[in-house]
Amino acid sequence: MKIKILIATLLFMFASIAVHAKDDDFKSVVKMIEQFYGVKHQGIPFLAKAGMKVATTAARIKGGEARRIAEAGSIKLAVFENQDFDGDFTKFRTSLNGALTATWMPLIQTLSATTQDQNYIFLREAGDKFNVLVITITSRDATVVQVNLSRKNLALLLKDPEGTGKSITEEATIIDQE
Amino acid sequence: MKILLRTPLIALLLIFAPAIVTKAQDSRIQLSSLDHLAAKAKQTVDVNIDERLIRISTKFLSDDDADEKKIKEVVNGVKGIYVKSFEFDNDGEFSAADVETIRTQLRGPGWTRLVGVTSKKDGNLEVYLLLTGDKVAGLAVLHTDDRELTVVNIVGPVDLDKLAQLDGQLGIPDLGIEPQKPKAKKDEQ
Repeated sequence: MKIKILIATLLFMFASIAVHAKDDDFKSVVKMIEQFYGVKHQGIPFLAKAGMKVATTAARIKGGEARRIAEAGSIKLAVFENQDFDGDFTKFRTSLNGALTATWMPLIQTLSATTQDQNYIFLREAGDKFNVLVITITSRDATVVQVNLSRKNLALLLKDPEGTGKSITEEATIIDQE
Repeated sequence: MKILLRTPLIALLLIFAPAIVTKAQDSRIQLSSLDHLAAKAKQTVDVNIDERLIRISTKFLSDDDADEKKIKEVVNGVKGIYVKSFEFDNDGEFSAADVETIRTQLRGPGWTRLVGVTSKKDGNLEVYLLLTGDKVAGLAVLHTDDRELTVVNIVGPVDLDKLAQLDGQLGIPDLGIEPQKPKAKKDEQ
């Protein structure tokens, strides 16, 4: 009887750890960027006070026909502004893929040695929805966004991964401003 | 003694034989040999649509919606779509040896180079099919230019029409692929 209880407890603990690890991928990515580049992400209130660039983006997007891609309330956002992202991006990419590819599917990655821009889109199944993780790094700024995506918008993402990834990032920054 | 020696050998064969067979028939080509080019490329695009994602797409996408239906049709039956594309600022930033790491794989058993496929873009376009029996098990496209190197690998049954449909879709660069249509026969009277 004691053995059964022990096994059940251990199974529960392992399951909890696995779920916790899966849920914390967003935080892990943010921490990974901080450690690799020696930068610090800023909280949204701080950014709002600083009159950040995303506010301009938000205004620009609001002027046009903004289509909501992310599901309401599903957005996790971390922003890094006006910091130096100096480092070997190929090494960062290897670390990122190593950390995420067990649970996330790497859909598209675009990199530029000229501008040092990096864009990553990862996807995973979450019940009847999908989690999308969009990581954008430039030489001075970075954004990490995780959202839930509906089936309809999955088609949009697959059709145009790069464009939809950009829209997700822009949309996330707008919603956090509202 | 002979039996003692033979047992581990048989065990090894049992372990490795399926892997060897799978490798021989697998139409997925290894593209990681090109990864080092990202460090000097003006633009690197890396697309991975693996079997998991294709399974999800076909499971969740609806036939009632035009967008969803189109994506579903394109990926249906395919087991993976992998793309690596590099664009450089200057000529000669990738070597013949880099291209050769891909061509070597495409000279393997089952792979056949297709003729009669052209591109609207400049440069050299090579299209290869992997045939198992009379069935197409995969396809590879190699496009090279002085400043560009693109490899597209589609795993699973695929035809050239599907390849042309994928051109510029799903993050795949637009290669301007044009399968040549057979010339119309003259009316026999």
